[in-house]
Amino acid sequence: METYLNTPIKEVISKFPKVGEILEEYEIGCVPCTVGSCLLKDIIEIHNLSEEDEQEVLVRVAKVIYPDRNIKIPKIERKAKTRSKEIRYSPPMKKLVDEHVLIQRWIALIPQVLEHLDVESPEDLKIISEGADFIRSYADKFHHAKEEDILFKYFDENLDVLKTMLEDHTKGRGHVKALIEAVEKKDKKGIVEHLNAYRELLTEHIKKEDEILYPWMDRNLSVKEVGELFSKFNDVDEISGNGVTERCRAFVIKVEEKVQTPKKEVRP
Amino acid sequence: MREFQGCPGSRTVDFRENEVQAEAPAAKVQSQLRQWPIQLHLVSPAAPYYQGADVLLTADCVAYALGNYHNDYLKGKSLAIACPKLDEGQNIYVEKIKSWLEDAKINTLTVLIMQVPCCMGLVQLAKQALESSKRKVPLKAVVVGLQGQILSEDWI
Repeated sequence: METYLNTPIKEVISKFPKVGEILEEYEIGCVPCTVGSCLLKDIIEIHNLSEEDEQEVLVRVAKVIYPDRNIKIPKIERKAKTRSKEIRYSPPMKKLVDEHVLIQRWIALIPQVLEHLDVESPEDLKIISEGADFIRSYADKFHHAKEEDILFKYFDENLDVLKTMLEDHTKGRGHVKALIEAVEKKDKKGIVEHLNAYRELLTEHIKKEDEILYPWMDRNLSVKEVGELFSKFNDVDEISGNGVTERCRAFVIKVEEKVQTPKKEVRP
Repeated sequence: MREFQGCPGSRTVDFRENEVQAEAPAAKVQSQLRQWPIQLHLVSPAAPYYQGADVLLTADCVAYALGNYHNDYLKGKSLAIACPKLDEGQNIYVEKIKSWLEDAKINTLTVLIMQVPCCMGLVQLAKQALESSKRKVPLKAVVVGLQGQILSEDWI
């Protein structure tokens, strides 16, 4: 069925004239068209039929094309629905949202990492140190720097919404500094306190950015500014991003694998 | 309003009963066109006005439907127009759009189309060029209704 949904309507109707008659019943008048280059799926989508009518017309078309088979009817993507339910970011904002995903993968692992933390284990302390490096290198120097050095410059930095975000960044840096000091002292309480605080802070911070800040910024950026941001973010990615991203992604994958594998021995 | 059914791209629709006697604007609307030529077969991607520009690729019918086309969309941008339904040589269009991306190093590409299904072909040409290009830029699609209303405006 997918094949025919992606076929120009003239080809479909000339092969299966009955399809043209069915479309006419739904006021989709492709039969007299002399060009007929529109794809069947675009025709269905753009006419914005009710869900029931859409399913009905697709079932009837499928029965004409495949009279002897039971065909699974695919869902046609509808612009109206995606607009109301999904946030559609501009390409530079989408880059930032995608970077959040890797950060979220690390902070989702923190409770399990802390649950089994043994400060006498060099392996466990190494994970915490590498986690701090992830935060400093990827979340802060790479991702937050894009925001602070580039994105926020397009707005009035005295705006409360930006001050709040900058304050979050500062608090996060404070937690990471304290975390590294706690690792050096093998201070389990300090590690747990600051890594948990960072997790809570970043969880809320990312939610605020994804759901409020970035959509608001998108509404206020001009097309020209979106293009400039995209180009500047690409420059950062090329200069410093690839090595950092690969290293940090490898760290997250390593920890994900580790927490999914139960410890073989429990230390007293 | 409908006189007969048919392809939305070519069926007869009469809007006269919706006609509004709007007040005349205080001053004549200034053209925002910054270049010539504008038809996609005639333009050269090497033209100075495309270098680093925000480019508007407009389906032929849009400027007639969209009342404030010049001020709301054309202002500050470089232009090309095309019809994805009737124009020949659309492979040349893809190559020209690709050349905007790679050679003219344009900043953004905005495609303005009508709501009729055949117009979506212009967005597809832009996407095809973008996918085959080594250099990427933000691509936006704006869909205009038959009576000039903006139906959607989305980054792709």
